[in-house]
Amino acid sequence: MEVKLLSEHYEKPEFQKLEGYKKHGGYQVLSKALKMDPKAIIEEVKASGLRGRGGAGFPTGTKWSFLPANGEPRYLLCNADEGEPGTFKDRLMMERAPHQLIEGMLISAFAIGSKKSYIYIRGEYDYPIAVVRAAIGEAYKAGYLGKNILGSGFDHDMDVYAGAGAYICGEETGMISSLEGLKGQPKLKPPFPAIQGYLRKPTIVNNVETLAAVKYIIRDGAAAYRKYGTEKSAGTKLFSVSGNVVRPGNYEVPLGIPLKTLINDVCGGLRPGRQLKAVIPGGSSAPVLTAEESWKVTMDYEALAQMGSMLGSGAVIVIDDSNNMVDMLSVLMHFYHHESCGQCTPCREGTGWLNKIVHRILHGHGETKDLDLISKVAQQMMGKTICALSDAAAMPAISFVTKFRDEFESHIRKGGHTAQVRGAAHA
Amino acid sequence: MPKIKINGKEVEVPQGSTVIQAFKAAGQDICHYCWHPGLSVAGVCRLCMVQIEGMPRLQIACNTEVKDGMVVNNTSEAVKETVRWGMDFHLINHPLDCPICDQAGECGLQEQYMQFGSYDPEMAEPKVKKHKVVDLGPTVVLDSERCILCSRCVRFTDEVSKTHELGIFNRGDRSEIGVVEGKPLDNNYSLNTVDICPVGALTSKDFRFRQRVWYLKDADSICPGCSTGCNVKVHYNEEGLWRVKPRYNPDVNGYWMCDSGRDTYKFVNVQTRLLAGKIGQRGSWAEKSPAEATRSVAQRLNEVVEQSGPDAVAVVVTGQYTNEEYADLFKFLVQDLKVKNIFHWLNNPEKTTEFDGLLLRGDLNPNTQGLEGAFKANVGKGNWEDLQVGLSGGKIKLALVFGPENQSSFPDIKEKVQMLSQAQSMVWFTACHSADLDEAGCETWQIPLKTYIEKSGSFTNFQGKVQTFKVGTTVVPQALTVSEVCELLAGRDLNWALRPKSLGGAKANYATTHRGAL
Repeated sequence: MEVKLLSEHYEKPEFQKLEGYKKHGGYQVLSKALKMDPKAIIEEVKASGLRGRGGAGFPTGTKWSFLPANGEPRYLLCNADEGEPGTFKDRLMMERAPHQLIEGMLISAFAIGSKKSYIYIRGEYDYPIAVVRAAIGEAYKAGYLGKNILGSGFDHDMDVYAGAGAYICGEETGMISSLEGLKGQPKLKPPFPAIQGYLRKPTIVNNVETLAAVKYIIRDGAAAYRKYGTEKSAGTKLFSVSGNVVRPGNYEVPLGIPLKTLINDVCGGLRPGRQLKAVIPGGSSAPVLTAEESWKVTMDYEALAQMGSMLGSGAVIVIDDSNNMVDMLSVLMHFYHHESCGQCTPCREGTGWLNKIVHRILHGHGETKDLDLISKVAQQMMGKTICALSDAAAMPAISFVTKFRDEFESHIRKGGHTAQVRGAAHA
Repeated sequence: MPKIKINGKEVEVPQGSTVIQAFKAAGQDICHYCWHPGLSVAGVCRLCMVQIEGMPRLQIACNTEVKDGMVVNNTSEAVKETVRWGMDFHLINHPLDCPICDQAGECGLQEQYMQFGSYDPEMAEPKVKKHKVVDLGPTVVLDSERCILCSRCVRFTDEVSKTHELGIFNRGDRSEIGVVEGKPLDNNYSLNTVDICPVGALTSKDFRFRQRVWYLKDADSICPGCSTGCNVKVHYNEEGLWRVKPRYNPDVNGYWMCDSGRDTYKFVNVQTRLLAGKIGQRGSWAEKSPAEATRSVAQRLNEVVEQSGPDAVAVVVTGQYTNEEYADLFKFLVQDLKVKNIFHWLNNPEKTTEFDGLLLRGDLNPNTQGLEGAFKANVGKGNWEDLQVGLSGGKIKLALVFGPENQSSFPDIKEKVQMLSQAQSMVWFTACHSADLDEAGCETWQIPLKTYIEKSGSFTNFQGKVQTFKVGTTVVPQALTVSEVCELLAGRDLNWALRPKSLGGAKANYATTHRGAL
């Protein structure tokens, strides 16, 4: 069930402001960290088993250790673009606890020796942008940012950069391009950002939740953090549960919790009289799970990978039997077609192609062989491009048409006239 | 130097090379669009996929650095399948308008589809509609639907011309190349974007819809536009020359050439050429064959030298001829005739040291260095003021002028014609007819000369690099080279049997005089 580590004080309005934050132990971990050896902080984070909460699940401490030993300047970027459909946890964290993020970032920046950080927030997040900006202002005034923080000799500056709302700017190199003032397009790797990132300088990009979690790892120690979660998926995670559950919302639970518990106990279960049809467990890019798979799986990186899906950003989209899977897929394909940056040919052309096929099926002009074509096209989009957007579009396409093939075929047979299609009830 | 095995073949490449460079070095075929050896790596077409032993996923060869002992192939079924699909992704929205596309016949898509594609397409959806006939600037037209977004042209304007006019606008499959309003693609290197465009998206206004490329032949040559001496390929057919394109030479021009150099095919075509020898002056001209006219010059030359001595002859030479022609000319003039009054006609002398930073130099002659060398080896350069004194004092009876081949880079032709008309008679050796010359006020010979593409020889560029070239084609067979002129002036005959013949009838070629429009 729920474990409130990061989200302990999220319900309290005062936690948003510096004064209220300090009342609940705010910035005490920072002063502890500033007395530590930066290397010890990195070791602690490594020992905690913390993995990137943005989607890829890469071990955070290991990522930090890719930075070259020397070399200034180096940048810490907080990825608050949160573009993955279904995800809304970073928004909550920034709105309710901006100082928690700032403190986590300061500890991380101190650990990696960075004097400048940016929080890249998606442009649609008007309110979080305002809240975080205000919090940074407070932190500067109180001496938590700027020169010689808490008398430690550590200098750090922090800024908010508002994106323009492109999904691709949540990809770390796409975000770096955008931050540099370029068109938001991922960069070729190598070089990796840890070697040549923002302004071609060593750069670390971490998700909001990852950076906030660093604070609790340093406060309680790696061992305490490891008490939550599983061996390889340590700690707690905020899941953004949406869709057909009684109480959708953000819930902090230990990793490894059964999806069944999350849906039924934490979120109040399905609506009365409804059957579970499918769950997208980790944001719209994650391959969909059937009901049967969903009731079996636990929410950790390994179990989901074993099931052929992924934990992703922790956006759980619950789909009950009132939904049509062709309709669902058409929405996803529209999204990826719209958001492909257009750099790499397989993605640029593939997302458009898939979108057209799926919409043709949706509107009753599909043929059964189109389903095989979707799989073939999507298969060829995977692992072929600079970033993972192409894979992100391909994975749901393949999983939808293979796992729900009967439904697609029946939709094709009925010439698109399936009752559950969006808007059909009003037509 | 690291060693790498490519499709079973071992090659050694310089440290820091990429796998695609190693493929080229090993002579192995590899499919690619966005990679260009003269530009940065974009890695977006995803076609140069290779399998590297020890790596789980296929890698792009253009962004993978060679490491010693690497074993690479692009012949495995996995690679072939990926490349086939990569081709298909490029082609699903590409219009099938090859029959009316200028690139057809030299198109990267056509060629690589035949080599690496050859699949049965399954795309049955309506194609994406984009802008057609986009006027990017004075020289280039864009067809966005044909564009495969390889970004070569954008990288060219960013990295080579550094003019930054082009960009990719919009996202996904709505992406289009474009320019910002009010900032057209207007620089002296713009047509390189047409060369590097692997498809028919960027076309040259000067060439589009003029010729099917498979009806053109090409010949290697040296651009006579300035003292850089870019290595070029000239494309021609029996109607004349149609375009000039750069030829790779790392020491001189790399992969590029300037737009003004590309115009050097225009004065070669018959419309601008002097086709027969002309004798007379303003208002009354008689035509003779070039050889006959030259023989009558020889007669006059001998008379003048006999009666008034070699100092009564003045010779004016431009830096537009080959080293071999200069050698023959100076040998005849200085050693045989003992002429001392030889003058160097340098166009825009105040600009000769200018340089645009990339290729174009202020000295708009291909062989100023060669001419300077000939002067040094034979006789000092004459002083123009002495020439003026000699002309107005009546001391100079006969002026021989080896005038500009490319008249567009000589703004002072009229002035020189008027100055040299002060002699009793004047002989102009020139490739093209000139209205100024037809207004000459003294007894004048006009003798047609061959142009750079019609003769063999060498130019010495600004670096002192001697670059040889051979006859490409013959547009005006009766025209003479300077060496042939010297033979005839010396009273010897030419071997007429060996002289090249025209490739065919000279039809109207309006492209030579009109810059194309949309």
